[in-house]
Amino acid sequence: MADKKFRYNLRDHAADYWERSPKWRRVSLSISFIAFFYALPFLNNPLINTPGSDFQSVLFYPVGMYVLMAIGLNIVVGKSGLLDLGYVAFFAIGAYTMAILGTHTSLNFWEILPIGIALAMVSGVLLGTPTLRLRGDYLAIVTLGFGEIVRIVAVNIEAIGGPRGIAGIPTPPDLFKAKFTILDPKPYYWVLLTFTLLIIWMVRRMAARRPGRAWDAIRQDDDVAQLMGVNTLKYKVWAFVLGAAVAGAGGVLYASQILSIVPDQFNLNVSILILACVVFGGIGNLWGVILGAALLAFTPERIRFLSQPRILVFGIALVVMMNLRPDGILPKKKREHFDPNWKTVEESGEGEIK
Amino acid sequence: MTEKLLELKNVTMKFGGVTALNEVNLHVNKGEIAALIGPNGAGKTTVFNVVTGVYKPTSGEVNFNAQSLIGRKRYQVTKMGIARTFQNIRLFGESTALENVVTGADVHSKSGVVGAIFGTPRSRREEAAAVERGMELLEFMGLKHRAGQLGKNLPYGDQRRLEIARALATNPQLLLLDEPAAGFNPAEKVALAATIRKIRDAGYTVLLIEHDMSLIMDISDRVAVLDFGQKIADDVPKVVQNDPRVIEAYLGAPADAS
Repeated sequence: MADKKFRYNLRDHAADYWERSPKWRRVSLSISFIAFFYALPFLNNPLINTPGSDFQSVLFYPVGMYVLMAIGLNIVVGKSGLLDLGYVAFFAIGAYTMAILGTHTSLNFWEILPIGIALAMVSGVLLGTPTLRLRGDYLAIVTLGFGEIVRIVAVNIEAIGGPRGIAGIPTPPDLFKAKFTILDPKPYYWVLLTFTLLIIWMVRRMAARRPGRAWDAIRQDDDVAQLMGVNTLKYKVWAFVLGAAVAGAGGVLYASQILSIVPDQFNLNVSILILACVVFGGIGNLWGVILGAALLAFTPERIRFLSQPRILVFGIALVVMMNLRPDGILPKKKREHFDPNWKTVEESGEGEIK
Repeated sequence: MTEKLLELKNVTMKFGGVTALNEVNLHVNKGEIAALIGPNGAGKTTVFNVVTGVYKPTSGEVNFNAQSLIGRKRYQVTKMGIARTFQNIRLFGESTALENVVTGADVHSKSGVVGAIFGTPRSRREEAAAVERGMELLEFMGLKHRAGQLGKNLPYGDQRRLEIARALATNPQLLLLDEPAAGFNPAEKVALAATIRKIRDAGYTVLLIEHDMSLIMDISDRVAVLDFGQKIADDVPKVVQNDPRVIEAYLGAPADAS
């Protein structure tokens, strides 16, 4: 086949390179990557600049925020295979926690953050425990409903501003020398980046251990997972709750940057767009999802100079991409590996068991 | 020595108007290889499903180590010490062979999500123990060289063996094998018989469903026969083999029977 010659599988090559690398090279590569992303707001490259909107703001919202939320949703959709169409609800709960507590109490951002995460997690448990017994389409419908309910409740409660939302949300207090002001999105971006790195670290640890195996099993065959002793409901609720925690943290940070929120910011579109990020990047593949979210968030800003037709261009680009790479940019594919220690044992029953 | 590990008392299982099991009494003694045979549709797999908590029987009792299994969740039944394989192979195809087995071995781990995130000493210890147990079982089933391969990419026979390894990883007292020799050639069947004996000798109790009579007669200590949801025989293989009702169930009534 002619195309086989030209097909250079970047992901496999990158993974091979990483696996072959000694520890010092992995550490230095990781440090340079992380440093690059912390320095990103200072990068004034015409290629990635966003004419028509402030590049530093774009880095925080939508790019950084989408990446964070996509990582969170990927735990639910990608790892455990639960289709959640109401993910924005947890984002809204985080944002409203910041808005309400920030305007009515003297608590600051850092004190509200754990409360927002906790409330999002509690709502994850409350929604998840009864509904995660449902499967597939039914779960999707229930979560879709939940996402809308949270928004509609916010619209209808006058005490939290009703449709006008809440304005005058305080900014976080200064941290070291960084001042959080409406004019400078850089500190917010750095906080967001720190959250994101922390969450990537946590997700990777979970994925390689018992929870990761349990989620893999649930996604592939729920019944067999149960019969192999996996408490599937417990691990599904955990996936839901962890996803909710990530969105909740994002919501708190978002509200403290944007300073005023209205319920309509948390509509179904956000849920769908985050899900699109996950699917576009490659369901279940952490790096794919991050790349997908960054691209989906960045592209409309990059082509803002096209003004109205930009959404059309964006849509066409999306359709073309999904045709070229139907499994996402970096599809999840487990790589097989061999260890020379696993010498061939031809006859069945060579070993002993206790 | 004849301690009953598993006991079904008058178990009836109805699906709407269909009676899959009708007042079935069945038991498995500790340390034996028991077999469950019968024509297709006799209710053999239904017995497995009732025991492992997939179905709740319409009436009757299911006891394991003198504890009732009825109403228990599937993962609890597994934790209590019953593991099974499936008639149509149901591995986690997108996971490696080792991951498949370790998923079973996780049953006895106590650390969960929080332990995994923070890498607590208990989590690390249990991870290492589960992986070690997994490798041990892969070696036992002759699959060590397949450890890093995906379940779906394994040859058919290895998939069947991997299912047994995965079930053993849960450290069951009772191992339920649903047609473990289906699709095997004679040489593979002989090897499988040896493996099942080895599993019994290691202290596990085995209940298997099988259609291959020579395998059944070779390895089982006791054979129960189901036909249309009813038990029609339950004895040592020799006796069952010559039971006229069993012959009738399998071959039909003799021509001269009036």
